[in-house]
Amino acid sequence: MTERITIGLARMHVEFGERRDFLPSFVARLIRRGANVILEHGYGSGMGFTQEDYLSAAPEAQFASHEEIFDQDYVLVLRCPVEAELRRLKKGATLISMLHYPTRPLRVELLRSLEVEGISLDSIKDDNGRRLVENLKSVAWNGLEVGFQVLRRTFPAPGMEGKDRKPIQATVLGVGAVGVHAVQAASRYGDMNLWSLLAKRGIPGVQVTAVDYDVVRQEETMREILSRTDILVDATQRPDPSRYVIPNEWIGWMPEHAVLVDLSVDPYNFEVDPPEVKGIEGIPQGNLDQYVFKPNDPAYEKIPASVSTKNRRHVASCYSWPGIHPKECMELYGNQLRPIMRMLIEKGGVGNIRPKGFYFERAISRAMLSNWSGSEKSEFVKVNGKRIEKRNEE
Amino acid sequence: MTAPKSIGFPRMMQEPGEKRVFLPEFIQFIANLGVKVYIEEGYGSRSGYTFDDYRRASPNVFMCSREQAFQKDAALILRSPKPEEFQLVKRGTILISMLHYPTRPKRIARLRDLGINSISLDSIADDKNLRMVENMKAVAWNGLEAAFDWLEKDWHSLVRPDKQPINVLILGTGMVGKHAIEAATKLGNVERNNDHIASNGPGAVALSIGRNVASNAATMKHLMEQADILVDATQRRDTSKPVVPNDWIAWLPKHAVVVDLAVDPYTLDANPPVVRGVEGIPQGSLDQYVFPADDPKWDSMIPESIPSKHRRTTVTCYSWPGVHPEACMTHYAQQLEPFMEVLFEKGYEGLSLEGTYFERALYRATLKAWLHEEESDPQVKREAD
Repeated sequence: MTERITIGLARMHVEFGERRDFLPSFVARLIRRGANVILEHGYGSGMGFTQEDYLSAAPEAQFASHEEIFDQDYVLVLRCPVEAELRRLKKGATLISMLHYPTRPLRVELLRSLEVEGISLDSIKDDNGRRLVENLKSVAWNGLEVGFQVLRRTFPAPGMEGKDRKPIQATVLGVGAVGVHAVQAASRYGDMNLWSLLAKRGIPGVQVTAVDYDVVRQEETMREILSRTDILVDATQRPDPSRYVIPNEWIGWMPEHAVLVDLSVDPYNFEVDPPEVKGIEGIPQGNLDQYVFKPNDPAYEKIPASVSTKNRRHVASCYSWPGIHPKECMELYGNQLRPIMRMLIEKGGVGNIRPKGFYFERAISRAMLSNWSGSEKSEFVKVNGKRIEKRNEE
Repeated sequence: MTAPKSIGFPRMMQEPGEKRVFLPEFIQFIANLGVKVYIEEGYGSRSGYTFDDYRRASPNVFMCSREQAFQKDAALILRSPKPEEFQLVKRGTILISMLHYPTRPKRIARLRDLGINSISLDSIADDKNLRMVENMKAVAWNGLEAAFDWLEKDWHSLVRPDKQPINVLILGTGMVGKHAIEAATKLGNVERNNDHIASNGPGAVALSIGRNVASNAATMKHLMEQADILVDATQRRDTSKPVVPNDWIAWLPKHAVVVDLAVDPYTLDANPPVVRGVEGIPQGSLDQYVFPADDPKWDSMIPESIPSKHRRTTVTCYSWPGVHPEACMTHYAQQLEPFMEVLFEKGYEGLSLEGTYFERALYRATLKAWLHEEESDPQVKREAD
């Protein structure tokens, strides 16, 4: 008979707009599969769930303080806790979270020194290296949804819903994992209901121009494309984050009503050498508290002085696009995690996970800190200083 | 509950260009599950594999006749056997294949009458009804690769005479269309694209449009006049009408290539009739998937009532993933492995919706699940067999 494991579900005490917690149905499944589950007081309240909602779905669920959650053998929380919280974890405990081993060597070091096991959600991968817990689709769709909401306000007469307007011109920079979702989302206004409504009214749709990194370098071609672009999407994954994809000067070629949608969300970081810059020069970085910026927004004043902000348009930028729709996001993550947590629970914990066992055992095994050798390819180039983690994939 | 103890691998008896077989690594994987594996004599020979390649390292692999391969506890064949071949399958055998239940009512009746326990690969779906055994990426990439190959014959290193990027117009923004965008911007081949970037080539720009733009003739004229490649990746709601009428083909430059990824056939005797998305183009196969505008076979491949006056080089294939057979079968094998583990542990009758993630997905693909669903929802849309 396998050991019954206890999982503490911690809340994320980050920006006010971060409302995500796992849903009651997910908690109920964990218990049904044989785990003890303890929730932090107030769990789910950001999405309107009460303690009764969780108890109604999972009567055996227990509640405890933030500190007590971090005393449990297993702690599950989407975004990685801060250092003080990590230090609270007991020796031998397992932290299940987006730990981003490849880009967070200091975190890896800290967890190892604390003798804490990790299961990094972003490292749970199948036999082909495909991530099993990810929400890149929401990055694209939520970003485009907001982008088109802004464009609806800025679009010149006859307006975005005008029957006589020409097709809207969207341009997507970067055709990788996020970019392909962005093309699809852009062609549907980032909103299936709006798409269906406008299509029924016979209003011309969206033409999406997709260009990869090699084309973006060509000034002449980009000038032609940007001068007719209503909504520009940065979905690039730059090999060199110290170089802009779109210099600020090029933004000046775009129509005044144009909207810039930032999906790659690389930060400005001048503490490293060479400095890291955003893909589009001179746009602010948003988060779940504020993700829409008008051209005169005070946020522009916080951009480092060495970055040109002369040419401005409306901007949609968010550090964590999936968090815009917290319930949908957590439903997806819950569904992706179900078979993984089931395997972990049925096996009686990480100690019984076999690297060559069943499909999901193998996937968990790849994500365990004790199996992490630092060999996974980082998407970043090496720099001398401290890196700021990209949160947008969460 | 009886778990199958043996599995047969019959060859696919389709066009000579169909070279796909499961690779030795996958056969070894199955044999290592403790199952006796029987492969039809000549299996893999079109791709250069011998029986020894399959038998290597496992005493559980045997050679057999085609009939015997269908008589084992389970039989796995990627494309569906022909109608007359279902007679070869033993009653109670688990037939695993792309059986396309929703569009093949006669096939379902045949399976039921013969007592075959089928699992349709195209019906294996997760809890969100997403297909788990599919290769849509290869549909897009292989089709675009063929188109760029053709253009490269005249445009060395894929550089246009005016040194501007190649323009690719993609119709359809669904799953295949999404992959087509990536393939188009990477010249249909990552290695070629890397070389192109290294030599400062101008690249390609993909323009993606949905049906609410594609239905506007004035807009389409403007876009098609600039297109070097036109891609049909549409999933039409009304298959009786083309997305691109033949007259519109005249708007394309003479050098343009039409890429057919939708591959709806001409079925004019159906009610309503089914026509191709791009009017007047032939339907290719693995034997021939490139049709120059002056191909003499063109006329014989289009029904007389279909306008085909305006022609451009067309790349079209009924089974695009089969263009690169090994890559395709490696892909399918990787997708299938966790399902094979479940099947050989639980057996057909042991599968249920109460089981694990892969078991639930596999259950949904069984004939019994389909028949159960059909009973509870008789309005499920049917097309001609």
